[in-house]
Amino acid sequence: MNSTEQNARAEQREIDASVKWPVLVFLGSGLLWLLLGGVFQLAATIQLHTPTFLADCAWFTHGRLAPAAQNALVYGWGMNAAFAFGLWLMARLSATTLRHGGWLFVAAKFWNLGITLGIGGILAGYSTSFELLEMPRYVGLLLLVAYAIIGVWMVTTFSIRNTENVYASQWYLFGAAFWFPWLYSIAQMMLIRTPVRGVLQAVVNAWYLQGLYGLWFASIALAAIYYFLPKLLGKPIHNYYLAPLAFWWFVVATALAGGSRLIGAPVPVWIPTFGIVASMMLALPLIIFCLNFLGTLAGRYGAVGGSLSLRFMVLSIAGFLLSSALGLLLSLRGFAAIAQFTLLAGLRDWLMFYACFSTAVFGAAYFFLPRVTGKQWRSTALIQAHFGATALGIVLMIVCLGAAGWQQGHLLNDPAVKFAEITRGLAGWHTFTSAVLGVLLIGHVAFLINFIWIACPINSQGTAAAQIAPPPALGLAAKEGHA
Amino acid sequence: MKNGLILFLGVFATMVLSWAGVVLAANKQIGTLPQFKDPVDESLNPQPYSGVANQGRAVYQDLGCATCHTQQIRYGDDGADIKRGWGERASYVRDYLRDETTHIGQSRLGPDLRNLAKRLPSGAEAEYLYKLLYAPDSKLGGEPLARGMPAYRFLFEERAITGNQPSYKAIKLPSSHAAPAGFEIVPTPRAEALVAYLRSLADTYDYPTERGLNAPAEVPKEGGKEAPKEGGKEAPKGGGH
Repeated sequence: MNSTEQNARAEQREIDASVKWPVLVFLGSGLLWLLLGGVFQLAATIQLHTPTFLADCAWFTHGRLAPAAQNALVYGWGMNAAFAFGLWLMARLSATTLRHGGWLFVAAKFWNLGITLGIGGILAGYSTSFELLEMPRYVGLLLLVAYAIIGVWMVTTFSIRNTENVYASQWYLFGAAFWFPWLYSIAQMMLIRTPVRGVLQAVVNAWYLQGLYGLWFASIALAAIYYFLPKLLGKPIHNYYLAPLAFWWFVVATALAGGSRLIGAPVPVWIPTFGIVASMMLALPLIIFCLNFLGTLAGRYGAVGGSLSLRFMVLSIAGFLLSSALGLLLSLRGFAAIAQFTLLAGLRDWLMFYACFSTAVFGAAYFFLPRVTGKQWRSTALIQAHFGATALGIVLMIVCLGAAGWQQGHLLNDPAVKFAEITRGLAGWHTFTSAVLGVLLIGHVAFLINFIWIACPINSQGTAAAQIAPPPALGLAAKEGHA
Repeated sequence: MKNGLILFLGVFATMVLSWAGVVLAANKQIGTLPQFKDPVDESLNPQPYSGVANQGRAVYQDLGCATCHTQQIRYGDDGADIKRGWGERASYVRDYLRDETTHIGQSRLGPDLRNLAKRLPSGAEAEYLYKLLYAPDSKLGGEPLARGMPAYRFLFEERAITGNQPSYKAIKLPSSHAAPAGFEIVPTPRAEALVAYLRSLADTYDYPTERGLNAPAEVPKEGGKEAPKEGGKEAPKGGGH
């Protein structure tokens, strides 16, 4: 190891140390929400096949519990996890320490206070009933202020970068840092503060959902994939020169594709049509992503088994491609006529949020937690359990929701079938979904236990100081600098 | 891409483009859509909800009914909404002007409710809905009233009968779900509001100017952005039944 490399390694350790506490706080709160949201989601799914379950308590009626679960998962787990990972990766790639991280604790406090009040508000009956904006109006401002601090830290870390080049992951992180507050504040204004009239509310809601999944969660996951594939495989991204084209094409088309969620809806017909065209335009960046990711993986699949983070990244790539493919299918009118309003339509967002985004963060966490804490994972068995449960859960969920949704759509389109028959036919699938959610929950508990062991400053007994093997040398062209 | 400023401008432009192209353009087109004045009887349509029904809309919202129920009828080619008898025509933009908050819904674990009022047993609408909310599993011709739907008993109050006869508000229940002797089940004001709302869910007026607006794109000329075909080929039907 020559002295340049030693310097680089010392610099990385310094960066990792500077983000340690913000990362642990965000990820820790995220994991608690992941568990709570998972329990809520499981309970809400049980209600679908056993409607009497918790039905007599107004707080836990299905119409409140299901959105509460969704919000806990998306804003509690998803956003916190994205903050933790995004701040770490931005500091690493910008080759600069995270300055004045104390403010981020304030932000974390307010963010999680906001989510707590919001989930409580939904359960108590103050829901707005707009998908993923159900949290009552008093929460919006709190979340935006908390986010502002986090977003500013993300952007300033980028702007004081010590690197010549800006890597693909940074484009996505930088973009996401701006898109979320704009999307959220516009949606809050147009739906809750000064609501627009009639079906325009549905248009704003669809536009927001598309942005949240496509521009925020997908962006964070893509940032992770672009970072970890070359890092862990020791080879540059295949056809990297296409990545800027994919970035711009992907974000513009995604931002415009919101209307594709409104096929057949009572809105002026150009809105879904425009959305369909934008969705179809996504085919090109998808091809480039395939070239970039699968091309980099090509011939190195043997290496995937050896790296836990890589295994999660491969899941994430699969989740991203499947979710995008399903999005394309759902924007075909013929397919939408069957799949719209069924469990299959819900699968698209679940895949993007869970199979793509969450697995990317899991994979990243297995990489960065030992580095920021300087400790090793304590239990290999729990790691295996987590990965196994996640992989199995994702496969089963795809099979289950896919088959159930397809069946549901065909039955719905057959006017001779009574509605009660459809519900009866779905009951078995709902039971299956509950079991799959249970499997995923086991994985999350395993991860949480390991997280507590590695993150807890006391009780480090048995946790050896990490001997982190240097990642494989990157045969990179000079212009693709990685911190 | 090395230049942070260019990256920022691109990111900003993406958001502006998306907001202006989708949300603002839609707002420009239908944001100020007025009620439609019937040329014959000069009624304004859609007619607003009654005060109680509007309160019921808030109950519908806070209970999250939209989690499982849609309120939109798609055109004939998109699914079997009309064939299922959920509506006589597809929903129009103008139908939703009376909804202070619009919940068209994204999941059909339950049936569509846009025209629920038209499917209720005539003469016993409220009675049916109260029974549905309190005891969805009560049998009707051997089948549960609504399979898979949770009961909303917290919208009702079980109380002792005062005097020698039950309150006129007490709901009628089959013996399997009846209150114990000496007690009665009475809807709370929230249940009354919700039922008033559900009973007013019906798009009864057919707007002649509205038909083209969200019809499927037969002639793809920048998708119906232009004013819909006017000319009143069909005289508007009178509102209400």
